[in-house]
Amino acid sequence: MDQQSLVSLLLILLTFALYIGISIYNRAKVTSDFYVASRGIPPLWNGMAIGGDWMSAASFIGMAGTVMMLGYDGLAYIMGWTGGYLLLTFLLAPQLRKYGRFTVPEFIGDRFDSNIARLIGAIATIIISFTYIIGQLSGSGVVIGRLLNLPASTGVMVGVVVIAIYASLGGMKGVTWTQVAQYMILITAYIIPIVFMSLQITGNPLPWLTYGNIVNELGAIDAELGLSEYFAPFDDGNRAQFLALLFTLMVGTAALPHVIVRFYTVTTMKAARWSGAWALLFIALLYLSAPAYAAFSRFVIMTQVVGQPIDELPGWTESWVNTGLLEIADSGGDGILQWEDLVIHQDIVVMATPEIANLGMFVVGLVAAGAMAAALSTAGGLLITISSSFAHDIYYRLMRPDATDSNRLRAGRIAIVLSTIAAGLVALDPPGVITQIIAWAFGLAGGTFFPVLFLGVWWKRMNAQGAIAGMLGGLGVTLSYIFLSMNGITLFGIQDTGAGVFGVTANLILVIVVSLLTPAPSQRLQDEVTDLRYPEQMTYKDGEVWMNDGTEK
Amino acid sequence: MRKVEKSVADKYFKIRTTMIIIFLLIGFSVSFGVAFFAESIHEAGTTIMGMPAHYYMGAQGAVVTFVILLFLNSIISDQVDKKFGIDEKQNVQISGSGADH
Repeated sequence: MDQQSLVSLLLILLTFALYIGISIYNRAKVTSDFYVASRGIPPLWNGMAIGGDWMSAASFIGMAGTVMMLGYDGLAYIMGWTGGYLLLTFLLAPQLRKYGRFTVPEFIGDRFDSNIARLIGAIATIIISFTYIIGQLSGSGVVIGRLLNLPASTGVMVGVVVIAIYASLGGMKGVTWTQVAQYMILITAYIIPIVFMSLQITGNPLPWLTYGNIVNELGAIDAELGLSEYFAPFDDGNRAQFLALLFTLMVGTAALPHVIVRFYTVTTMKAARWSGAWALLFIALLYLSAPAYAAFSRFVIMTQVVGQPIDELPGWTESWVNTGLLEIADSGGDGILQWEDLVIHQDIVVMATPEIANLGMFVVGLVAAGAMAAALSTAGGLLITISSSFAHDIYYRLMRPDATDSNRLRAGRIAIVLSTIAAGLVALDPPGVITQIIAWAFGLAGGTFFPVLFLGVWWKRMNAQGAIAGMLGGLGVTLSYIFLSMNGITLFGIQDTGAGVFGVTANLILVIVVSLLTPAPSQRLQDEVTDLRYPEQMTYKDGEVWMNDGTEK
Repeated sequence: MRKVEKSVADKYFKIRTTMIIIFLLIGFSVSFGVAFFAESIHEAGTTIMGMPAHYYMGAQGAVVTFVILLFLNSIISDQVDKKFGIDEKQNVQISGSGADH
C-alpha cells in the first residue's frame, strides 16, 4: 500500500469511528426514536441531514462529469434534483407532518383507511429504496476500491458492516446526526478542490462567480474544433426529452419515501417549511459547484490535453489512463491528441481534480472520505425507510397490531440488519442495469406516489379506490413506457428516463376519475384532510375551526 | 379552545394557497419556462455573469431562485401565522402530544 492509500484509509477510518460514536451517543430507546427521532430535530440540522440523505455517491462523484459531457443538456439534473424541493416543501411536507405518522405507507393506509393501499405503498417503498441502496453500496465499493487499490467487493463489505452497526443502534435518531456529520464532510471535500482550481485558472477563489467566462471560452474552443458549442441547448436530445426528464426528476425527488420521512422528524408544520428551505440551501452548495467543476475540468482537458503531442501529456493523465477512466487513442496517426480520440469516464471529474490542481495527499484522502460519506448517509436513510416498511407497516400495522414497544423496536433493528445484508449481497455482484434502474427510480417514485400523496393531502373527496387505482396504474404506465422506449417505441422523442411524465399523468387521471366514480370517503377522513389546511393550533371538526389557546372549551 | 370564524379560517387557507401558487409559478417559469425558450435565448446571445443566459439560468439562476422562494415562503408564512394569532409554542405542544402514533 502506498503513502496515498494510507492517508486515504486513515481519513476514512477516522470518519467511520465518528459515525459509530455518534450513533452510540444517540442510541434509540423507544420506537419513536427509532423511526422519527422523537420528532425533535431542529429545522436547520434537519435541513443538513436532508442534504446528507439526499446527496448520494452518484451526486458526489458523477454529476459534475455528467454536466461536463452533456453540456447544457446535463443541467436538467441540476434543476430537477433541486426543484423537487419546491414541490415537496410547498405541496406535501407540512401537511404530511401535521398528519403525524411514522412512514409514507402508513400515511397512505390511514388517510384512505385501506390496508390494501397500505400494503401496495409498503411494497413500492421497499422496491424503490432497495434499488436505490444497491446503487449506493456498489457505487461506494467501486470508488473506495479504486482509491485504496482494493477489490470493489471489499469496499462493499466494509460499507455494509459500518452501516449495519450505526443504523441498527441509533435508528433514525442516530442516522440523523450521522447524516449531519456526513453532510459537513462531503461538502468540505467537494468545495476545497474547486476553490483551488478556480484560484489557479482565474485567480479568484470563488468558483461560482468565475466559471462563466470559462463557459464562454469553452463554446469558442468547441466552435473552433467544429464541435457543437458546450452551452448549445438540446444537442444530444430534443427539447421534449429535456423537459420530460426535468419533470420526472422534480416530481420523483418530491415523492422519494426516504426524503419525505426526514420531514417527519421535526416538531411542526412551520419546522417542516424551514427544514425544506435549509435543506435546499445546503444541497444547492453542491449543485451550484458541479457546473463549475464541469467547466474547469473541460477547460483543462481542452487546453492542456487536446491538441498536445501524445508523448507530452500532463503527468496526471497517466495514472487515470491506468485506471481505465481515461482512454487515449491516436486515430490521426500524427502523434497529436484529438478530442475525438479521448474517452472520458464521468467519474473522473471530481476524483482527478485534486491531482490536476496538485493539492496533495490530504485533499485526495478527503475526497475519498467525502465520497464514502455521501454513499453512507444516503444508504443510512434508505435502510431506515426499508426497515420501517417491513417492521412498522407490514409487521406492526398489518400482522401484529398488539406488539409491544420493545418488540417493535427489536423488529425494526432486525429488519435493518437483514436489509443491509440483503442489499450488500446483491451489491457484491450488481445486475448490469443498476445505473439504469436508479435513473428509473425517479420515474417509478413519481409515477407511483406523487399524485396519490399530493391529492391525498389537498383533496378530501379522494378515496381508497382512487389511491389504489392511481398507484397501480401509475406504476404500470411508467414500467410499460420504460419497456417500450427501450425497444425503440417512443412518444415525442421522450426516452426511458423521462417516463415519469406519462406515469404521473396516468396516476393523476386515474385517482380523479376512479374517486369520483366510487363513493366518497367517510366524513371523519374528509375532516382530517380539511384539518391539514391549518397549523397545529387550529383544529377542524364538525364544520367548524377551533383555536387551541390553552383554555378548556 | 375558542371558535374561529369560518371567514377567518377560510382567509388563512386562501392566503397560504395563493402564496404557494405564486411561488410555484415563479419556480416553474425560471426552470421549465427558460428551458422551453432555450434555443431562442441562445440565438439572441444574451449573457449573464459572462455566460449565455439560458446556460446561466440552468446552472445557477434557477437553483438560486428556488432557494430564495423557499426562504421567502418560510418567512412570510411565519408572519401570516403571527397575524392570525398562532403561537408556535402551542403548536409544538399540540403536535408533540401526538408523537407516538
